[in-house]
Amino acid sequence: MTLSYITRRMGPLVGGALLMLAACQSSPIPSRNITVQQTWELQVGNQIGDYRIISGLGDITLDLDGDPVQIPFDGEIQPMDEHCVAFTSPEVPAYLFRLCGISRPSLGQRHRGHVIGRAERLVFAAFRKEPDGTWALIEPATDLIEQFLME
Amino acid sequence: MNPRLKRRPRRQRPRLITKQHQHRLIAGTSCVLLGISLGLGLRFQASAASANEDLCREIISSQAVLSRQQLTQLLTVPERENREAIEAIAKDPYCTLDEIAVRAGVEAERAAYPLAFDPDTWLVVLYEDEEYAGYDVKLHH
Repeated sequence: MTLSYITRRMGPLVGGALLMLAACQSSPIPSRNITVQQTWELQVGNQIGDYRIISGLGDITLDLDGDPVQIPFDGEIQPMDEHCVAFTSPEVPAYLFRLCGISRPSLGQRHRGHVIGRAERLVFAAFRKEPDGTWALIEPATDLIEQFLME
Repeated sequence: MNPRLKRRPRRQRPRLITKQHQHRLIAGTSCVLLGISLGLGLRFQASAASANEDLCREIISSQAVLSRQQLTQLLTVPERENREAIEAIAKDPYCTLDEIAVRAGVEAERAAYPLAFDPDTWLVVLYEDEEYAGYDVKLHH
């Protein structure tokens, strides 16, 4: 009798608490996979012998010496390849930016000015969406790269 | 004198908080809480709308919205198509955004269209050299 009373009274409470816990738990951010239009063999993530390529043709490597990297627009930061993140913004349609070398990057939907993390060597690449759904490596504007850095 | 009689009036003395008071208190508190939550809700809504407004550099057509039919047609336009292909479907945008250079040596123009059936959601399109580069959807809920 007492037990049934407790379960009857506590049931909704426990259920509610579990629901709240489930709502609070953030789901892991899915990794971003793209097909690069340029079918070069020597690309970030590929290997030469036992060694991983960490920058290839089309990448700009900046000696940041541990300085922070920020996002210049509202948008989403997703994991991409190994040691890289993809940044996309609905304010800049048709483009995707790949940033490699940022230690412990913060992922998810973020606002302009949010610091992704710090990097010793930042490897930056910009991709433009092609009509066939692939992404072409392009030469990014200096002004644009500057906006990712904090002077 | 009987001590029982003495105690009687004490029992009948009105309680400081009666059931009626309690109900009023609960109703009042609920009203205040409801008011606060409504106020906060409106505030968030206002800030969401102004966040979208902040995107704009210049308002082109304050009444411009995109119907479901226009949106469907727009999505069929392939990237690299001429800018006119988009403008033939969507006419004037609500506003234009700041010009930016993403690719070296190329200025990108951006235009935003609120959806008629969901005005807090905007379709942003990007043009480069009079060419349509692509679209994205900006949500503000």
